[in-house]
Amino acid sequence: MSTAASLHQSRKRRNGVMMTLCVAAAGIGLVWLALILGALLYKGLSGVSLSVFTEMTPPPGDAGGLLNAIYGSIVMTIIGIIVGTPIGVLAGTYMAEYGRFSKLTTVVRFINDILLSAPSIIIGLFVYELMVRPMGHFSAIAGAVALAILVIPVVVRTTEDMLNLVPNALREAGTAIGAPRWVVIRSVAYRAALSGIVTGILLAIARISGETAPLLFTALNNQFWSSNLNAPMASLPVTIFQFALSPYEEWQQLAWTGALIITLTVLALSIFARSLTGRREDK
Amino acid sequence: MSQMLSPDMTIAGEAAAKAKIEVKNLNFYYGQSKALKDITLSLPERSVTAFIGPSGCGKSTLLRVFNRIYELYPKQTAEGQVLLDGQNVLDRSQDLNLLRTKIGMVFQKPTPFPMSIYENIAFGVRLYEKISKAEMDGRVEQALKRAALWTEVKDKLNASGLSLSGGQQQRLCIARTVAVKPEVILLDEPASALDPLSTAKIEELIDELQADYTIVIVTHNMQQAARVSKQTAFMYLGELVEFDRTEKIFTSPREKRTQDYITGRFG
Repeated sequence: MSTAASLHQSRKRRNGVMMTLCVAAAGIGLVWLALILGALLYKGLSGVSLSVFTEMTPPPGDAGGLLNAIYGSIVMTIIGIIVGTPIGVLAGTYMAEYGRFSKLTTVVRFINDILLSAPSIIIGLFVYELMVRPMGHFSAIAGAVALAILVIPVVVRTTEDMLNLVPNALREAGTAIGAPRWVVIRSVAYRAALSGIVTGILLAIARISGETAPLLFTALNNQFWSSNLNAPMASLPVTIFQFALSPYEEWQQLAWTGALIITLTVLALSIFARSLTGRREDK
Repeated sequence: MSQMLSPDMTIAGEAAAKAKIEVKNLNFYYGQSKALKDITLSLPERSVTAFIGPSGCGKSTLLRVFNRIYELYPKQTAEGQVLLDGQNVLDRSQDLNLLRTKIGMVFQKPTPFPMSIYENIAFGVRLYEKISKAEMDGRVEQALKRAALWTEVKDKLNASGLSLSGGQQQRLCIARTVAVKPEVILLDEPASALDPLSTAKIEELIDELQADYTIVIVTHNMQQAARVSKQTAFMYLGELVEFDRTEKIFTSPREKRTQDYITGRFG
């Protein structure tokens, strides 16, 4: 056999080995995801009933639902998004547009990346010191602020990235027609980057809707219905945490069901975000 | 700078035409590096002027000084004078947005805004004029007709500007520029990304537009410069080497470097 042919053979073998390893690694990753989803569906689905969405969290040993926790999660997520998104979008806009060439942008980007990977329990402790201690009690509003702080770095990052993808030629064209800077940003750059920015916001929602640690220190929990933002409020993640650790079967079942609800919501949001970016790439 | 040039670079025999833009001792810097060296020339009104020269010679840079679009980027500075109807546009007091409504620009790559065909044109008009829907419809139609695009798009004005072909997009950009009624139109290699048929259409359009507008075109394509322009400036390494009537440049240039470039010996 000539050297060329044997070289070819050995390369083919090595290629085979590497490919098997890669496929195996990818498979392992997927298997865990499938197992988690499977377990959630198996354990959680049996507990899904109308009462989950209509009844409050029960005392130990009683039947009940998750209504107050679902409500609390939605309320705090919405407030967190309403507070965090404008700050994130505006900061991202500064970095990609006005401050594109400024030193401050480099600094902000660096700090933002740190914030992005900061453990959420630290954020929880921070807001505890900032709001809960001075106020003297846990509150939904403190929980929402903690979530907002988690939202900001995600939205800053995606907004900046998406605006940076808008070709400079488009900005020049807007400017060349006589449009002031802010009109170019609003009517041209935002429009071109819209689906990407919205995707970032959706991903931020997905991220905070499962956060437990920052809420433990801020909104705490509430076994009863409460729409008072100045009082402790239940949320799905914290309720799951509490119920899953309990010895009561009804609570454990509700924890599984709550986990299933969060997972499916996050999954739906991610798929929706994907479809938005997908459409953008089609163009 | 060559000593053989007349000092103010105006064209002999064209003295009758009024100068729309006069460039005087213009220097331009990208940071420390000097990209334009003491450029002086004057562009006659309602006429097409072409800037030719090899890549990096400064022809696009010169064009980008006229509407001060270079100021979008830091560390780019211009020194000297660029007079538009006698007014120095490089003055600090010059309102940039107003300047850019007077001096329109079309870029190498078609740049339709991410909005409908109609909105692409209405966008610029709306910035400085408050007009009724009916008037706006008229303006849009007029601009699209001017850019020879009306018959192709009149039934789909609400379609995205991005759905058009490259040549149509470029004509949309010209329509958008014309719609705000500028006095000068700058064309930065407007046909270099287009196929021959679209190129021919754009050139025809330039020919028609010069009745009403002062047009400056930067092009890599010497045949194009010869076809569309009345006067041509040849630039090399940041210097204006020669500026004259187009026939003169292409038949009997004064400068050896011009001769070498147009005969394809370099560039």
